[in-house]
Amino acid sequence: MEPNRDDQLIADLKALRPMPRPQFAAALDERAGAGFPRRSRLPRPNLVKLRDLSPRRMLIPAAGFAAVAIAVVTALLLSTEGQDSASRTLFSDHSERLAPPSHSSPRNFNDSGHHRAAAGAPSAASAEAVTEEMESGVMFAPEVAPREVKPGLRHRAVERSAQITLAADPKDVDDDASRVFEAVHAHNGIVMRSSTEEGRAGEAGATFDLLIPSARLDDAMAAFSEIDAVRSRHEATADITAPTVSAAELLKESRARIDSLLSQLEAAGTEEEQEAIEAELRHERRHASRLAAQLSHLHKRADYSRVSLRIETGGQESSGGGAWGIDDALHDAGHVLTVAAAVTLIALAVFGPIALIALLAWLTHRAWVRRERRRVLS
Amino acid sequence: MEQTLVAEAKDAPREADLAFDRLYRSSRDDVYAYVAGLLRDPTAAEEVTAAAFERAYRKRNRFDPRRGEPRAWLFGIARNAALDELRRRGRQAELTAEPADLDSFGTEEGAEHNERRLAVSAALERLQPGERELIALKFFAGLANSEIAQVLGLSESNAGTKLHRAMNKLREVCDGAE
Repeated sequence: MEPNRDDQLIADLKALRPMPRPQFAAALDERAGAGFPRRSRLPRPNLVKLRDLSPRRMLIPAAGFAAVAIAVVTALLLSTEGQDSASRTLFSDHSERLAPPSHSSPRNFNDSGHHRAAAGAPSAASAEAVTEEMESGVMFAPEVAPREVKPGLRHRAVERSAQITLAADPKDVDDDASRVFEAVHAHNGIVMRSSTEEGRAGEAGATFDLLIPSARLDDAMAAFSEIDAVRSRHEATADITAPTVSAAELLKESRARIDSLLSQLEAAGTEEEQEAIEAELRHERRHASRLAAQLSHLHKRADYSRVSLRIETGGQESSGGGAWGIDDALHDAGHVLTVAAAVTLIALAVFGPIALIALLAWLTHRAWVRRERRRVLS
Repeated sequence: MEQTLVAEAKDAPREADLAFDRLYRSSRDDVYAYVAGLLRDPTAAEEVTAAAFERAYRKRNRFDPRRGEPRAWLFGIARNAALDELRRRGRQAELTAEPADLDSFGTEEGAEHNERRLAVSAALERLQPGERELIALKFFAGLANSEIAQVLGLSESNAGTKLHRAMNKLREVCDGAE
């Protein structure tokens, strides 16, 4: 390019330089002095303020908003969790079970441990009998009359069992154990086995194997739960209707057979014939006795529920007794942090994909705009 | 002056406003000239120029001095606004421009000058939009090659090469018209 011609061309280009109209320049100067107010749109002061914020400054309100949201969700979850633990439903069948023993009296059986038995000692003999029956499955006391169970049984025989673990401070173990005895006594239950250990947190504790009338199991469990903080609680049921009906029918047949043998014995003419019938009668009576014991045992299993109760110290929360201390505070703080972390994780799981989609959409839009701008000039 | 825009903006909002005001006053006519050269439509150029300054004013606190000069940043915003306007209207940059007004060249100029400038104006219309943009940035807005490079996202040498080619082509078109 020749210098002279280039100079001329550049001069011509500069002469062609568009200049703004004075009216436009004046109007723009005025708008610049006013801070460029928006012209054709409605004023959006809040949005404008947000746009004026630098990204770093926007982090502060964003973080504050996120913290408030997490706190609110955490509080909601904690309150919901509290309701859940208060209204925890247990696995049990309350509608289908045999009627409770109406004749049962307060009974208490003590003791493999060194704890004193509660006041108002029950009939130890009957308690022992029940206990042995339930543990061995064989009853040697035919005086316990088996109930009549008809084949067309309307009610079902349901065996119930329960486990409950209480958390206590070491110094409260004795008091809690006494209250367990009182609660068992109040619900006509039986303490089959109990033991208490003294010592430091984690060492001190107590264990109880209890029999509670099934009809009063719910009340008894509620009473146990009020003794101290409940660490765990579980109930289970097992339907024993079939073996009960079967044992009852066999017993009925066996008794009919005994009656028949007695009739034959009366009619026997010879001594040999009498001896043979008596031998058969003895055998059948032993058989009937075993069936009666079996049936009685099944009835006891339906009438009484096994309850395993433990009082533990140390470890997890023991809010039932003692003052709230630094350990409790640390534990609570850890719990709150755990819940907050869980909530954050859930929030990330929910908002993460949304944010990712929004980011991808924004990046796609930006790339599209850039491509369109390039295309305009191509 | 332009280089102090962001440092002052960080120090105090008031200083940022003053710095932006100085940038505005030093660049107002240049931005308009560039946008008008790109759009070839004075009315649209006024709208886009106003919108570009408005956008720049809103974003003045987000300017990062490590990414370029304030003047190049401002022209980048103006460029995007101009291209968006072209997109919005569904127009292409090479759409027919308004005919150059001979009277605007001044009555004291000779007829030969007027004819030559009309030829240059017509030649500009025949350039590719990208080439015309380069010439508008250089000779209408008065940007240095380094600033042009920043606005277009090119290296400085590449921007200089492209500008040289655009000028050669403009000269060839002018010669061909004669």
